[in-house]
Amino acid sequence: MKKFLGFLFVLMLALFSVACSGDNDSNAGNEGKSAKSSEEAGDKEITIAIDQNFITLDPHNAGDTVSIFGIRSMYEGLVSFDENMEIIPALAESYEISDDALTYTFKLREDVTFHDGEPFNAEAVKVNFDRIMDDANNLSAKRSLQFVDSLEVINDNEVAFKLNEPFSAMINKFAMVPMISPKAIEEGTKYVEGNPVGTGTFKFVEWKQGTILEVEKNEDYWGGDQTNVAKVIFSPVPENGSRVAMLKTGEADFVYPMPQQNVKEFENSDDVTIDESPSTIARYVSINTFKDPYSDLKVRQAMNHAVDKEAYLQVVKDGFGHVLDSTMSSETQYYSKQEPYEFDIEKAKALLKEAGYEDGFEAEIWGNTSSETIKGMEFIKQQLAQVNIDVTIKSMEEGTLSDEIYTPEKPEDAKVQMWYVSWSPSSGDADGATRGLFSSEYFPPNGANTAYFDNDQVTNWIKEANATADTKKQEEIYTDLQRTVYSEAPWIFLATDINLAGRSNNLEGVYVAPDGSVNISKAQVK
Amino acid sequence: MSSLQSKSMEVEQIKIKEPGRFQQFWRSFHRKKPAVISFYFVLLLFVIMIIGPFITPYDAAEPDYNSLLETPSLTHFFGTDEYGRDILSRIIAGAKISLSVSVSAVSLGAIIGTMLGLISGFIGKWVDKLIMRGCDVLFAFPDLILAIGIVAILGPGLKNVVIAVAFFSIPSFARIVRGATLEVKEMLFVEAAESIGAGRMRIMLKHIFPETLPTIIVYFTMNVGTAILAAASLSFLGLGAEPSSPDWGAMLSVSRDYIGTAFHLVFFPGLIIFLTVLAFNLLGDGLREMLDPKMKD
Amino acid sequence: MWQYLVKRIISLIPLLLVVSFVVFMFIHIIPGDPARLLAGKEATVEEVEMARQSLGLDKPLYEQYFVYLKGLLSGDLGYSIKSGAPVSKLIGDRILPTLGLTFLSILWALIVGILLGIISAVFRNRWPDHLGMFTAVSGISLPNFWVGLVLIQLFSVQLGIFPTGGADGWKSYIMPSFALGAGIMAMIARFTRSSLVDSMKQDYIRMGRAKGLGSGSIVFGHALKNSLIPVVTVAGLQFGFLLGGSVVVETVFSFPGLGTLLIDSIQFRDYPVVQAEILLFAVQFILVNLLIDIVYSFLNPKIRYE
Repeated sequence: MKKFLGFLFVLMLALFSVACSGDNDSNAGNEGKSAKSSEEAGDKEITIAIDQNFITLDPHNAGDTVSIFGIRSMYEGLVSFDENMEIIPALAESYEISDDALTYTFKLREDVTFHDGEPFNAEAVKVNFDRIMDDANNLSAKRSLQFVDSLEVINDNEVAFKLNEPFSAMINKFAMVPMISPKAIEEGTKYVEGNPVGTGTFKFVEWKQGTILEVEKNEDYWGGDQTNVAKVIFSPVPENGSRVAMLKTGEADFVYPMPQQNVKEFENSDDVTIDESPSTIARYVSINTFKDPYSDLKVRQAMNHAVDKEAYLQVVKDGFGHVLDSTMSSETQYYSKQEPYEFDIEKAKALLKEAGYEDGFEAEIWGNTSSETIKGMEFIKQQLAQVNIDVTIKSMEEGTLSDEIYTPEKPEDAKVQMWYVSWSPSSGDADGATRGLFSSEYFPPNGANTAYFDNDQVTNWIKEANATADTKKQEEIYTDLQRTVYSEAPWIFLATDINLAGRSNNLEGVYVAPDGSVNISKAQVK
Repeated sequence: MSSLQSKSMEVEQIKIKEPGRFQQFWRSFHRKKPAVISFYFVLLLFVIMIIGPFITPYDAAEPDYNSLLETPSLTHFFGTDEYGRDILSRIIAGAKISLSVSVSAVSLGAIIGTMLGLISGFIGKWVDKLIMRGCDVLFAFPDLILAIGIVAILGPGLKNVVIAVAFFSIPSFARIVRGATLEVKEMLFVEAAESIGAGRMRIMLKHIFPETLPTIIVYFTMNVGTAILAAASLSFLGLGAEPSSPDWGAMLSVSRDYIGTAFHLVFFPGLIIFLTVLAFNLLGDGLREMLDPKMKD
Repeated sequence: MWQYLVKRIISLIPLLLVVSFVVFMFIHIIPGDPARLLAGKEATVEEVEMARQSLGLDKPLYEQYFVYLKGLLSGDLGYSIKSGAPVSKLIGDRILPTLGLTFLSILWALIVGILLGIISAVFRNRWPDHLGMFTAVSGISLPNFWVGLVLIQLFSVQLGIFPTGGADGWKSYIMPSFALGAGIMAMIARFTRSSLVDSMKQDYIRMGRAKGLGSGSIVFGHALKNSLIPVVTVAGLQFGFLLGGSVVVETVFSFPGLGTLLIDSIQFRDYPVVQAEILLFAVQFILVNLLIDIVYSFLNPKIRYE
């Protein structure tokens, strides 16, 4: 009898647990559906899933793309970028540049107030300017204004920035400096970081650090009724598979970046559209030209000839991209197309033979730990193996990698051989796409010239282009520069991205700009 | 004390009839079906590990851009991956890497842990305290964080993955061996050896170590499985084996983006990891029942 | 009893000091420069240097440690390098979701694990035993990121039952806790089985049998009570590991918990956050150990407070 009772107990436990779980499942199913239908009923709330966390919401101290576009949903600068990264007026109605390129005069809008009710005027610009230029604050926006000497308040609605030397990309830089409410600035840096107060189409609601950022519609926007979305949630989801799944289940309405290998899954979808847009992101492998055997131009050319870029596009980018046919993306200012290094194993072998490396050599490629980088490095390894270059892949965590690359004080101390990386000039200008990468004054730790590319002519050109206000002259210089650098092959030139985003069909007006930032200011839900 | 005495008597007896004990062991082992199947499976893996290079249908490293992501077929039994490489060939070739990484990591951890455990348990006093507190500190670090840190310090590469995985198996081996040592230490024959005047080192290696061996073997077997998973998790975080190598964990984590489009890419490496880890665990369970004196029939 | 407790807690202090020191040194040895990461890739040497100074990272390491220790002793965990927010707030925001996840994982692991263990022990070496152990051990034989991704494909994408991630409502806890608890379930099942088998063989149970008690009452009346001790230990130890080990699972499910915070902070070399988190793990690990000892002494009065 007791034996029987024991078994009965076990049996009941088992049944109970099964019943419980069954119950939960059916509940979950029902609730899931009801949640969805209430969303469809139209409280106009959208979720945008992105691949990285926001680092900061201080608009004067953000350097990464994700933080910048999070900030741009709430803030505006004097000018801003349109979909093609052309400069358009924003908080300034118009601007004027003096003939010597040293004075930038802005006429400000008069009808703008900050989210906290403070008026936007010349005084507000002055307060922002002072905050940025104060060394004690150590803000990254100071870099955008590094050539600005002083600010003159002409009247309540007019300001003039005086430069100490001409700078070709200056107007783009003004778009990188959003305006914060003077009252918020008064409260101090900690306040600004946690309580964004700008003039944008959306107002700050909440930021759970490392997780979601929530913003709501600014009903008093000076530009009128731009959006019908009441609430936007930015949700960082680093794992590719999870982000894609969110789009499928409808938990996210917009997903960026959309991993290219998943695009196929949406080919026949009625609910989701894949948006393709041009990008300023250039993908390449920088080659340390200071180190043997890479110091030999023939070796670098051989490496470029040994890599099949078309295959790269197919295998690594699933067809979404273009061959990088210059030192910058075709979306960048003053881009000039070059003749790509054609894929030719025999030619590569011949070049290596001339350089004395007929039997190849051992090499190392570095990159971060993202799955796409790893895939790209694997591809490079396979390609270079065809000309007997035996590549070892070292994928390092971002922190370690940046330490390894930026710590060496002198070029001869640098251990990097090849670095699989991408570059996007934050304000889409030619200076941003060349100075830090190819000027000999910008070897690490000073800048990102990790190819240790050392060419006096190029270094001088970069200075000259900045010193003139003549756009014709600038274009000439940057054309020469691209030709020279491309032929010197300090990189293995791979591809220009196509930005891919997944968008739910009832959402419109959200787009990805060429610099990879998500713009929500005109979001419309059908 | 009486049970301990009888146990030591048993040990003495067994030492005399060694072959008999082995046969007896084998017979009773064969009654544990899951363990037996697992044993043969593990054996098969080691055979594959050795003859692998000769039986792969394709070159495991050779990409073929004309046959990307092909589903399983008669030409490619397990299909091809995102570079057109034959997945079956890669799994066969990867046996060597995956098994050697896990086995050598656990061996390294076991050797150091066992030494620390023996010393700690046998010498006792402040040495014991020091070692055990050290283990506490190591335990307090989450495993994976420790491994991430170690790989970041030493740099990427298979050798450093081995070190990282070995590192966090040290404290558990040390604890278990210490426990076993304490038990054995109390046994009569050690006291006897001590009274004869045998050196500490000798007692430790000749008398105590062999008695703790069953515990170590069991724990070793089960830990090999854990080590394979730990190495795979490191790969998931991008810090594992070189991603182009056919290491199973690396295959699984590199191809995980294809889970919705080309499931065979993640299925087959996942399956082989599952079977292998399962086999090591079931084998370990079986061995524990065999070797643990408390659980013998 | 109280004396014992107080003694144990006092003895924790030196251990914590050592842990704080080891953690500090360990993460400062890891290559990486938060000042560089903070200043961005276009920053000049001067800007990086200024960032370093403002973070106090230019001082010698021992000085930094003492500054940190001083703050720690006065209850100040410092500010995050990455976001500038107080570390206590960052951790405070994340601790509840992770605790919830951990409890849920342990809970189902205990229920299912003990059940499987009992079945296996009762039918030792017969097919229900093999099946039970096979099921249990399967739980620790798959990388949990893989389990997580498959679950998302199956239950979120195909069936639409659970959300893919986040921590909104109880439904988002189900899949992560399943992925996280599978391993513990296996361990608990095995321990329940072996310790049940063990205690069923012990003398007093043989006595019980001789007295004519049925095997059902032996299992539940005597053996199970005895074998709960190792099970509690295992569950307790796992509790400690879970909090730290949820890094991978939290990443897969973009779960806003301590695991994702830790991995983010390590990647950014956000020293104050990493230090505080690992210290937190250490404290809870030690507390769990203490708790296990106490539970032990309740379940088995023969164990003395030494």
